[in-house]
Amino acid sequence: MIDYFALALGHGLIAIALLRLVLRDGLDIDPLVSSINAETAALRQGTTTAGRNAARRARSAGDNDSINPGSAPDA
Amino acid sequence: MLDLTLLAFFGYLLVLGLRRPFVWVLLYVYVDILAPQRIGYSLIVSLPVSMIAFAAAFGGWLALDRKEGARFTVRQGLMVALLLYCWWTTGNADFPEDAATKWDWVWKSLLFGIFLPFTLTTRARIEALALMLVLAVATIVIGTGLKTVLGGGGYDNLKFFVKDNSGIYESSTLATMAIALVPMIWWFTRFGTIFRPHWAVTAFAAALTFACFLVPVGTEARTGLLCIAVLALMALRYVKQRVLFLMAGAALGLTALPFLPQTFYDRMATIGEPSGDESASTRVAVWRWTIDYAERHPFGGGFDAFRGNSFTYTLPIKEIDGNTTTTEYREVTDKSRAYHSAIFELLGEQGYPGLAIWLMLQALGLWQMGRIRSRWQNRTQDEAEAWIGPFAISLQMGAVIYIVGALFQGIAYQPVMLMLVGLQIGLHSYCKRIDSARSLLERISPHGPAADNQVGGAVTA
Repeated sequence: MIDYFALALGHGLIAIALLRLVLRDGLDIDPLVSSINAETAALRQGTTTAGRNAARRARSAGDNDSINPGSAPDA
Repeated sequence: MLDLTLLAFFGYLLVLGLRRPFVWVLLYVYVDILAPQRIGYSLIVSLPVSMIAFAAAFGGWLALDRKEGARFTVRQGLMVALLLYCWWTTGNADFPEDAATKWDWVWKSLLFGIFLPFTLTTRARIEALALMLVLAVATIVIGTGLKTVLGGGGYDNLKFFVKDNSGIYESSTLATMAIALVPMIWWFTRFGTIFRPHWAVTAFAAALTFACFLVPVGTEARTGLLCIAVLALMALRYVKQRVLFLMAGAALGLTALPFLPQTFYDRMATIGEPSGDESASTRVAVWRWTIDYAERHPFGGGFDAFRGNSFTYTLPIKEIDGNTTTTEYREVTDKSRAYHSAIFELLGEQGYPGLAIWLMLQALGLWQMGRIRSRWQNRTQDEAEAWIGPFAISLQMGAVIYIVGALFQGIAYQPVMLMLVGLQIGLHSYCKRIDSARSLLERISPHGPAADNQVGGAVTA
């Protein structure tokens, strides 16, 4: 009797858990990694080589105050 | 009826896998731990469920999975090296037939341990595997706990679903793995996304933890008691109110004392007096024999090389006659005694190279989990990352408990532990993936690290 109870409880929980897993998003594509990658792709598309170089030069100078956050580099 | 139910459940998981092939990986984990083909009596026994599950898991991954972020790691390399080395020693074993029997399940465990990290590419998958491990072991533990509470325990008396003392159904192994999973059980009460934090989840975790603690009591496995002590010591590092924790632990222990059977006290008393117990006495003798054997065979004697051992030692035999107890010291000769320790199991079977690979595999895991813990434990603002540090802690604690338990049991190739190793590798690779994606973003971002935080903060899984 105890064995049947334990088997029923364990299998019941596994069945519910896997059903929830199958129905949810994020099982095959990780939301965190893909959002970082999407951000990277958007930045790559939105800036030209010249713009990226300008931004890199500004950053390497270590001057956070010289760049206005949010403004896109000149194309 | 039981067979049909188990078969229906197996079929249910196969069908779910059609939509998400990763479910087939979990199906293999379920089959490997619970062994439904050995719980049933007729129909399911005749089916090769383990082979079907592995074929589905591997085939599904190969043909249908995106494989995005899958990478081969150093620790997988170590497992490949151990697998190849075991194959070589099996071919040159002292006892070829026995070695072949053990090789038959060891290679599958190692291969699945190597394969598993390739599939753990997302947070949901890492959590799903952890949940499957917990629930599969919980199914056995719940039954064990209930039987212990209702008075059906005792060393070699407590009956599991499977009664052949194999795999996780060996009492000391079950006790060790159940205690090793306790930190992970509590991780689910705070960070679970399949079963979200809820009072019902916490209540289940508390009941399951109690059942896990009852496994060493019910099976009278001394190693389990040691594992509980190790768990308590490690938990002290992370609990906020240590005095309260210690007092609660002491109160729980004192409350439990009157309910423990006399046989439990008798068996636990042999921890401090190993000379009075044959099992404990032979351990020391086997360990000495193994060290001598390894000097003569530094590259190992293949699986089950212990079958060649034989030694004589003196054991006190107590005889009670009315009110008089007489102790007589008799010489006892033992043959083919098992290693009773993963360290000596590896030393005897795989020699120094095999032992070195296994130690590196475990040590690297402890180090990696420690590193993830220190790097990620302060990232608590974002729900998408807050789970990582505590998860690494639970895996690290589980690994330490397993290693302590393995010092006194021959469980070097325990499939559940190899799955936990797979989980550690999966988590490590996942963290590296986030780091590398972040550093790429940082390199091309015009705002530098500031953009980094914005991205992390914008995402909730």
